[in-house]
Amino acid sequence: MTIDASFPPGAVPRKRRQTAAKWETGIGHALMIFVSLLCVFPIYWMIVTSLRSESEIFSTSLWPNAADLENYRYALSAVPMVRMLVNTFIISIAVTVLQILTGILAGYAFSRWKFRGSAFIYGAVALTWLVPLQVVMIPNYLLVARLGMIDTLGALILPHFASAFAILLLVQAMRSFPTEVIEAARMDGAGHAEILWQVVVPNLRGTIASLAILVFISTWNEYFWPLLLSRSPENSVVQIGLQMFITAEGTQWGPLMAASTMASLPILLIYLLLQRQVIASFMKSGLR
Amino acid sequence: MTELPLPTQGKMATPRPISPRQRLYRRLRPYIYLFPAVACFVIWIYEPLLQAFWLSFQQWNLLPTSPKTWVGLDNYSNIFELPKFWQALRNTFWYLVGLLPLAVLLPLAIAIFTQDLPPRSRNLYRALIFVPMIIPPVVAAAVWRWLLDPNSGIINLGFQWLGFEPIGFLSDPAIALWTITFITGWKLIGFATLILSAANASIDGSLIEASRLDGATRWEIIRDIRLPLLSPTILLLVLMVALLGAQWSFAYIHVLTEGGPLGSTTNIYYLLWQFGFGSLSVGWSSASAVILFVGFGLLAMALFALKARFTFYDD
Repeated sequence: MTIDASFPPGAVPRKRRQTAAKWETGIGHALMIFVSLLCVFPIYWMIVTSLRSESEIFSTSLWPNAADLENYRYALSAVPMVRMLVNTFIISIAVTVLQILTGILAGYAFSRWKFRGSAFIYGAVALTWLVPLQVVMIPNYLLVARLGMIDTLGALILPHFASAFAILLLVQAMRSFPTEVIEAARMDGAGHAEILWQVVVPNLRGTIASLAILVFISTWNEYFWPLLLSRSPENSVVQIGLQMFITAEGTQWGPLMAASTMASLPILLIYLLLQRQVIASFMKSGLR
Repeated sequence: MTELPLPTQGKMATPRPISPRQRLYRRLRPYIYLFPAVACFVIWIYEPLLQAFWLSFQQWNLLPTSPKTWVGLDNYSNIFELPKFWQALRNTFWYLVGLLPLAVLLPLAIAIFTQDLPPRSRNLYRALIFVPMIIPPVVAAAVWRWLLDPNSGIINLGFQWLGFEPIGFLSDPAIALWTITFITGWKLIGFATLILSAANASIDGSLIEASRLDGATRWEIIRDIRLPLLSPTILLLVLMVALLGAQWSFAYIHVLTEGGPLGSTTNIYYLLWQFGFGSLSVGWSSASAVILFVGFGLLAMALFALKARFTFYDD
C-alpha cells in the first residue's frame, strides 16, 4: 500500500483499478446472490414441501421427487378453501374499486378547487395513518356488531372504503396534471364531471393502475380485519383459512404449505406478469 | 398586470347569470366530492378514536347485555402497575431496535455495494429480493414456522447435521423475540434496498467523479458524499420502521407465538389485542390504546422534527 503514495492522486494505473473493480463486482454479486437466496428460498421451500407426499414430507432433498397433489386435494377438502379464495377475491376487487373511486373524487376536489377548510380536511386525511388499527379495533368491532354485519363480507369491505394513501397519491398526480389541458376542455364547454372522467382519469391511467395493483395486493394480504370481524370459515378469507392447519395437536405441514401456496398464488402471478409495475407502485407508496 | 381584466380567460369569457341554486351547488361541490372519503374516515377512524378515549374510563366486558361502569382513571393506574405492560413496552422497543439493522443498515450496504453491477443482473436480483415484500404475512409466518420447526424444520436439521443442538427459535423466551423481528425484517429487505438504491442512483455522478479526481478514496466518497446525500432516504426508512415496525409484526406474533413464551414476544399492539379480545377487558384495552396513541403521536412528532432538522439536500 505504501507504493500508492508515489503515484499522484487519480493516476492509479488503469490495470490495477480494473482488477479492483472486478473484485468489487465479484463481492457485489456474491452478496446479492446470498440475499436473493435468503429472500426466495423460503417461498421455494413452501412450494417444494407442498408437492411432497406424506411419507417424504420431512425429506431434505432440494427437489420434490415427484409432484404429488395429495396435499392440495386434502387442503381443498378439509377447509372451504375455494370459497375462501373466492371471498378474498371479491373483497380485494371491491376494495380496490372503492378506494380508487373515492380517491379520484377526493383527489379532484383537493387539486381543482379552493374551498373553506380544504387544508384542514387534507390534514385530517393525511393524519389517519397515525392511528394504528389496534387503537380503534374495539369501537369498530362494536359498530360492525350494531350494524349486524359480524361475519359478513361487507364488514371486511366497509372499513376500507377509502384510504389516505390512495387519496394522497391521486392528489399528487392530479396537481401535476397540466392545467392547460383542463382549461382547453373548459373552453369547449365541458363540466367538471366530464373533465374528471373524460380528460383527467384517462390520462392518469398509469398512476391508477399502479395504485390498483398495490391496493389489491395489500387487501389480499390483509389479516387483522378478518381476524377481528369474521367468524365462520365460509364468510372468511384465505389468510384466516391457513391457520386452520396449525392446531394444538400439531401442524399438518403438507396441507399447510399447499394452502399457503394457493393463498399466495394470485399475488405471485401478478408479480410474475407485472413485476416492474409492482415494484414501481410499492416504491411510490412508502409501504402502506 | 393583475388588475387588468382579462376578458379572454376561460371563466370570465361568458359571464352568464347563474341562479342561487347553481351558486349553492358550486359552493358545496368540493364537499360533495370529498364526502365518501371523509365519511369513511369519520366513521371508521376518528369517531372510534373518540369512543376508545371514552371507553378507557369504563369497565366493561364487551357483552352488549352487561352494564358499563364509570371507573375514572382506574384503568390507567392499573395498567401502569402491570408488569406485563412494561414488558410489552420494552419488547416494542427491542422490536424497533432489532429491525433497524435488517431494514436499514443491510439494505444500505447492499445499495452502495451493488450500484455498479450490470443492469441485467441487477434487475434479476431486484425481482428476487422483492418477493418477501408482496407475500401475505400469514404465509410468511407459516413458511418460517415450517423452516424453523425444532424437529423437522430444515434449518434445525442443518444445525443438527453440523453437530449442534436444535434451537427453539419460537419456544425459547430469549430467542423468540429476535426470531419474530428477523421475519419482520426479512419482509422489508427488498423494499428498503430498492428505495435506497433508487436514491443512490440519483446522486449526481459528476460529484463522485470530481472527488475521485481530487484523490478521495472509495470510503471517503461513501462517507462524505453518498451518506449525507442518502440521509433523507435513510431517515425516512428509520421513521417508517420506528412508527410502523411493531405493527407489522402483529401477524407473525399471532400466528407463531401468540405473544409467548412467557410474554417474551408480546409488544404493545399485541397486548391491546389480548386485553380486548383475549380477556375481554374493554376498559384496559382502550386505556392502553389511548396511551399507545399518545405515545405514538409524540414519537412521530419528535421524528418529524428530527427529520426536518437533520436532513441534507442536494440542491
